[in-house]
Amino acid sequence: MSSGKRKWSAALLAAALLAVTAACGGGGDGGESAGGTVTLRFSYWGSDARQKMTEEAIAKFEAKNPTIKVEGEFSDFDSYYESLSTKVAASDAPDVIQLEIRALREYADRGTLADLSSSVNAADIDAKLLATGAIDGKQYAIPNGANAFSLMVNPALVESSGQKLPDDTTWTWDDYVDLASKITAGSDGKVTGTQLSWNPAYLEIYAAQKGESFYQGNQLAMSPQTIKEWWAIMQKLIETKGSPDAAKSAEVGATSVDQSLLGTNTGAMGMWWSNQLGAAASASGQNLELLRMPKLEGATTGGMFMQPAMFLAASSKSEHAAEAAKFIDFMINDPEAGEIILSDRGLPANAKVLAAVRDKLPEADQKTLAFLDEVRSELKDPPAAPPKGASAMEDILTRYSEEVMFGRMTPDDAAQKLIAEANASIAG
Amino acid sequence: MADSVAVKPRDAVTEPARGGHRSTKRSRREARAAYLFLAPWFAGLLVITIGPIVASLYLSFTDYSLLEEAQWIGWDNYVRMFTEDPRFLNSLWVTTVYVVVSVPMQLAFALALALVLDRGLRGLSFYRSIFYLPSLLGGSVAIAILWRKVFGADGLVNAVLAVFGIQGTGWVAHPDYALGTLILLHVWTFGAPMIIFLAGLRQIPSSYYEAAAVDGAGPLRQFRSITLPLLTPIIFFNLVLELIKSFQSFTQSFIVSNGSGGPADSTLFYTLYLYLQGFRDYDMGYAAAMAWVLMLIIAGLTGVNFLASKYWVFYGDTK
Repeated sequence: MSSGKRKWSAALLAAALLAVTAACGGGGDGGESAGGTVTLRFSYWGSDARQKMTEEAIAKFEAKNPTIKVEGEFSDFDSYYESLSTKVAASDAPDVIQLEIRALREYADRGTLADLSSSVNAADIDAKLLATGAIDGKQYAIPNGANAFSLMVNPALVESSGQKLPDDTTWTWDDYVDLASKITAGSDGKVTGTQLSWNPAYLEIYAAQKGESFYQGNQLAMSPQTIKEWWAIMQKLIETKGSPDAAKSAEVGATSVDQSLLGTNTGAMGMWWSNQLGAAASASGQNLELLRMPKLEGATTGGMFMQPAMFLAASSKSEHAAEAAKFIDFMINDPEAGEIILSDRGLPANAKVLAAVRDKLPEADQKTLAFLDEVRSELKDPPAAPPKGASAMEDILTRYSEEVMFGRMTPDDAAQKLIAEANASIAG
Repeated sequence: MADSVAVKPRDAVTEPARGGHRSTKRSRREARAAYLFLAPWFAGLLVITIGPIVASLYLSFTDYSLLEEAQWIGWDNYVRMFTEDPRFLNSLWVTTVYVVVSVPMQLAFALALALVLDRGLRGLSFYRSIFYLPSLLGGSVAIAILWRKVFGADGLVNAVLAVFGIQGTGWVAHPDYALGTLILLHVWTFGAPMIIFLAGLRQIPSSYYEAAAVDGAGPLRQFRSITLPLLTPIIFFNLVLELIKSFQSFTQSFIVSNGSGGPADSTLFYTLYLYLQGFRDYDMGYAAAMAWVLMLIIAGLTGVNFLASKYWVFYGDTK
């Protein structure tokens, strides 16, 4: 017998085997198995701690719904959208998708998400917060946590520099710059007053104090003047040493909150989302407080606002829409899920869940909650989700801000170019 | 990887013929077996490499967001690149500066160290490993993070400068210096070309040097008239390889600038901008077009390199 023949048949066998396994791989997702159970795929990002909590919540859901199995697809934030968009492109979208507000319209406007208006009960969620997940009357996403962009301060560092905490109901941008530079001076430079932020939420708050909104439809709605005046605050901070110089600021700005000046106790103030207080406090090991953002003199509104920390949405291509809705409903409305997840996805958006878990929240989050309750009546309505193509906004804002801070562009020039590029990005 | 391409003695290449005529049938059978064993590799090449390449060529002529079906838009992506996108031109500029500055520096450094190591130092293999280490690590995430720390405002470099009373800036985050730190990082990974240079130096017969010494040639003259000409094929090989590799650099800029290419786009490498277009701005069609332009640039440069090599690369065996 020729060994050639044997070789060929072995090859054929191998090829057949490959074909069979490939077929299995192609047909295996999300299908119903023999027992009548349905498998849902739930994609989300987060820390290892979040993965553990989520798995625990999933186990609870499965115990309550024996016919539904949920498979978590978990990644870190940096690579999350990369893998999510690839899955969508491959017609392999997960059934339940965690999203943040910047990405909402990128997905919703392209027909990726299902309308949940009639399938998920959202009665206990603040109507205005809920509205941020709706586009043209369709509820594409349900907020599961809330947040406000605010100012964090380390009272001990302010006092050790010979300064007093400001009265945040009346303080102005000038007071803020003044305090920051006095902290730096009063501590002989050991503590820097504050660090710069290029978060669009910060500019949004400032613009609101001038009576302007960030977006209007598919256009940037701020005047160049507003952006220039906003930059002037940061230029003055650098000048008066209330913040590090442009280079150090760019360096610090690229790190996360736990490596920030505030988080390393080398700075007394900084601006972040309120749910980052816990991370900042545990990095610093000292007591941190939240303050209202400073105001423009004579402004009628503080401009601060609540925003969903993240949303849950369902794929429009899901074969198990009812089960997906059921899972979202559980994650958002069931106090049992709330007790496991607590404030990990932002303070619960559902008022009843929040009331049920209130006392169990970690200390920093209780503080955040108290702060949000205090300022709630002053907040402006949550802004609508930014238009499709606005994912690049934070980068655009950072880039032109740095051009101005390093003195490589005049504020006039940079403001014009920023608006042009942002509008092109939104339109394109 | 380049490192395995050690320079073999020339006579080792020609294998002694084994069987002569006797085995044409057998050799045909062996060829068949060879193809069979190669088949999985060919299948992989077809499915995993050539397929996507063809697909990306198609996608480069479309408007493709990943989330919707691709729409044919002809040459629009290519036209936009060169007429409406200053960031594209900037990324091309940044990458070109990076390549043009770092590659010659890296090769010169590698050659210099190879010459030192070729002196027959004791513990040569130890030094060789130590110097090679950065090449293994240089492209890694950990080293890029380390770089951010070392060249940061409160980093090691400024601590050393402070000893001499110089107040340094935040090097990685200053638009005038950030690219410089990345170039240094690249130069630092001189190990791979160094190993190849070392192998090349070992190939040069010592009798040449002996003869030159007899004729009264000093070390400098020996280097210029013997070492350098005989090493030109190796230099050429390293140059081609490093040019291609550094045009495609991604990790350094991605990590050091935290994925933004900042500050103020000063470290926006071509591949980083491509990645941002494709995965952050949902413009995969444009990203595909950028990939093809990059391929053409690299192919063009390599072609020019080969043409130019006729005038300066000296192969001992050509007449």
